Amino acid sequence: MHTKLDACLDAVNQILLGKEPQVRLALTCLLARGHLLIEDLPGMGKTTLSHALANVLGLNFQRIQFTSDLLPGDILGTSVFDKDTGLFVFHPGPIFAELVLADEINRATPKSQSALLEAMEEGQVTIEGATRPLPEPFFVIATQNPVSQGGTFALPESQLDRFLMRLSLGYPAKAAEKALLLGEARREMLPRLDAVLSHEQLAALQAEVPKVRASDAVVDYVLRLVEATRTQPQFAWGLSPRASLALLAAARAWAFLAQRDYVIPEDVQAVLPSVVGHRLRERADPTGHGGGTLVQWLLREVPAL
Amino acid sequence: MSAVQAIPRISLLWLLVAQVLVIIPHLAHLPLWIVALWLVCAGWRVQIYRMRAQYPATWLKSGLTVGIVGGVYLSRGSLIGLDAGVVLLIAAFILKLVEMRSRRDALVLILLGFFAVVTVYLFDDRLTTVAFTLLPVTGLLAALIGLQQSPLQQSPWQPLRLAASLLAQALPLMLLLFLFFPRFGPLWSLPMPDQRGVTGLSDSMAPNDIAELSRSDALAFRASFEGAPPPRNQQYWRALTFDKFEGRRWSQSSEVRWTSAPSWTPAGEPIRYRIIMEASSKPWLFGIDLATTELERTRLMSDFRLERREPVDQKLVYRVTSWPQALREPTMVKPAIRRVLQLPADGNPRSRAWAQQLKDQYPDPQALVQAVLQHFNREPYFYTLRPPPVGENSIDDFLFDTRRGFCEHYAGATAFVLRAAGVPARVVTGYQGGELNVSGNYIQVRQFDAHAWVEYWREGTGWTSVDPTFQVAPQRIEQGLEQALAGEQSFLENSPLSLLRYRHIGWLNDLRMSWENLNYGWERWVLGYQQGTQLEVLQKWFGRLDSGDFVLALVGGGGAVLLLVALWLFKPWRRERDVHQRLYLRFERLLARHGVQRQPGEGARAFAQRAELALPAQLGHIRAFADAFEAQRYGGAPSAPDHLQCHLRALRRALPIRLLRRD
Repeated sequence: MHTKLDACLDAVNQILLGKEPQVRLALTCLLARGHLLIEDLPGMGKTTLSHALANVLGLNFQRIQFTSDLLPGDILGTSVFDKDTGLFVFHPGPIFAELVLADEINRATPKSQSALLEAMEEGQVTIEGATRPLPEPFFVIATQNPVSQGGTFALPESQLDRFLMRLSLGYPAKAAEKALLLGEARREMLPRLDAVLSHEQLAALQAEVPKVRASDAVVDYVLRLVEATRTQPQFAWGLSPRASLALLAAARAWAFLAQRDYVIPEDVQAVLPSVVGHRLRERADPTGHGGGTLVQWLLREVPAL
Repeated sequence: MSAVQAIPRISLLWLLVAQVLVIIPHLAHLPLWIVALWLVCAGWRVQIYRMRAQYPATWLKSGLTVGIVGGVYLSRGSLIGLDAGVVLLIAAFILKLVEMRSRRDALVLILLGFFAVVTVYLFDDRLTTVAFTLLPVTGLLAALIGLQQSPLQQSPWQPLRLAASLLAQALPLMLLLFLFFPRFGPLWSLPMPDQRGVTGLSDSMAPNDIAELSRSDALAFRASFEGAPPPRNQQYWRALTFDKFEGRRWSQSSEVRWTSAPSWTPAGEPIRYRIIMEASSKPWLFGIDLATTELERTRLMSDFRLERREPVDQKLVYRVTSWPQALREPTMVKPAIRRVLQLPADGNPRSRAWAQQLKDQYPDPQALVQAVLQHFNREPYFYTLRPPPVGENSIDDFLFDTRRGFCEHYAGATAFVLRAAGVPARVVTGYQGGELNVSGNYIQVRQFDAHAWVEYWREGTGWTSVDPTFQVAPQRIEQGLEQALAGEQSFLENSPLSLLRYRHIGWLNDLRMSWENLNYGWERWVLGYQQGTQLEVLQKWFGRLDSGDFVLALVGGGGAVLLLVALWLFKPWRRERDVHQRLYLRFERLLARHGVQRQPGEGARAFAQRAELALPAQLGHIRAFADAFEAQRYGGAPSAPDHLQCHLRALRRALPIRLLRRD
């Protein structure tokens, strides 16, 4: 099984050059049944990553471009009257896919954002009184552009909390970029990617993750981290229990991906920046993006043993 | 923010309050200028806090110190001794206030305050004083707590509440220590505060001496009986005897002062009781005739008085067994008989003539004594606290002219007449009667119970006590001084506030009795809880033990308590789980000595990887330990500390020996 996971990582790394840690974190997020928020500038490979992941994992892929006039119906689907049968027929929206890329999620109105986030949370959609389950597996990768803020609706903290991780891809290294420039166009390579995992295999892997052993010692470390965010003065607010659950789940998936059947503090530390970075704010600047320095402080100061 | 930590406002506030409370119980023995010094220093301190004044310069501090030392010398006449020492201590305690800059200084001041509180007990150990000292202790604790708090703390009550609750929590421990802590003898003896001002019986007696003493309601001693106390008219508490008469004054001859007990034979039922004696600054003890005690360094002297080798400077508790019917000194040698017949060569001619007349009339000494007593009974003699002055022939004046006197007049005259008639006699002073506290079953004897009576000697029957006062004022013996002086209204006329004057007001008397009961309990059970009492109490609880067993039990008990505390602190039953942690700590320290130090946020694996880079030669051992640790602590592998220890030992062997950390 683990060889297949490694094969998945290799395949995605062939497409997205020089981004191994982010790819690994993205796969970790998926294995932990969480959703992913990618915050980066346009053209950094967000869509390519999503697409490649979908192909490699054998998931069908839908992309929703969020704009200010996007309506909830455009995401969830609508019922249309069929002249021939005289009945309303439901036309599922793009959310009924296994991997959904919500591009530039902060461009849409809060109403549409909520529609997506509610679907993410519930795993099902209720339209016109009928509850329709979303496909299994269901994985959302949302992206947002941190720079151009004009005409955007920033996701409130409560919504951010629903993403297991937030990643930033960043510029590629020089060598990786050279290889990118010299190599084949990525868009043409994508369709040629073969699915490495079947749905059943993916489900089986996801089922394995919670079984990874988290000893008392590790749980105590997680608790110390959470406690620090709640008691130290530089934190505007502390982490929620949902965040501590997310942290442990992500650490389990990371350990699983590292072919270990137990979690060590280093696993927690590996996922800590992406899991809690978007949930923390500095007291001195509660609206800003101070999460990074706070996470560094946690990594440095909270006793790991 | 200055470099030194400032003293928080709350702490300063409580420190000032506590300082006043520390000084108050000392006031009785401090010169007044100390109060002025405190006012100046406290004002100065407050101004420093408000930044309106500077800390004192060095020259000023030195000047103040010299001035204080000089002042103490002037007011106490010495710099050595308890009295001067305490004044110096309090002065230092006050002066430190203006010199206090940092928290450390405040800490010194607070500790000094605790010490100053303890010195109060050297002067005064009454229940009220000791209860009062809880206040300065609470104040000092509050200052100590305030010192640890943020300077921004606003409410002064919070530290006070905490201090009070800390004190309350310390109470059980205090009780335990009080009960079980061994009472050692003093390692050095401290000159006790001067007791010269204490009122009490003196070692000689002139007319009016005891009458003077009877104006005081100070406590002399308390006696608590095992059974019912003897009837009041038998409560003659002997202190000492006077066998030398010099015309006016009765005193002790030097022989009596030094020789020890003559022969005596116990007879009848003994009375057993315990006496709690107030400090008298005199060496003699009190007891009903004939009293014996097992108190150390105490002897029965030739006149059957109990005398200790050193004066009673502090409260003293001792057990007494009395034999009221004992036969005392049935035979006496000639010089001794001469001594108790001694009279001045001349003076008091009328009395001598009367004595001669009596002697002719009653050849039997017993009949003669009865005749003298009858004389006092039949003739118009009066018992009064305000006797008219007597002249050079004091006995003549009293017997034949004034006929008004207090007990010492009657006792002195009787002894004189008996001696003049050839009957060996001497004056005995002590106390008579006392107030029975019914609920406490003890008798309180005060200075106004002071009394004098007479003993005469006869070959074969020894000494016999007679009380001429009884013939004049039987109420004095049977009811007490107040009743005996009822007609004259002179009882405690100079102390209008004394509660003893208001014994006829029922509720006030009950209140006084309860208060005295409380004080008695305090003295008997707290102050009197010394080595002997402690052993007695512990024997009652734990059966027979001698002091060796006691020390053993104490050490054992203390050890057990320490063990419990240690168990509670270190929780060894949790050690099993943390054994990995401990071993890892050793691993960490070992590597730290070789320059690889773990950061707090560094996990075991990350640290091992870093250490492997720094110490490539020991890579295998480091990795082996780290892997084993990880597997056992996180991987759910069975706990095998010896396995870890094995790896650790291998690593230590592989590393060069280094004891100190390399920086």
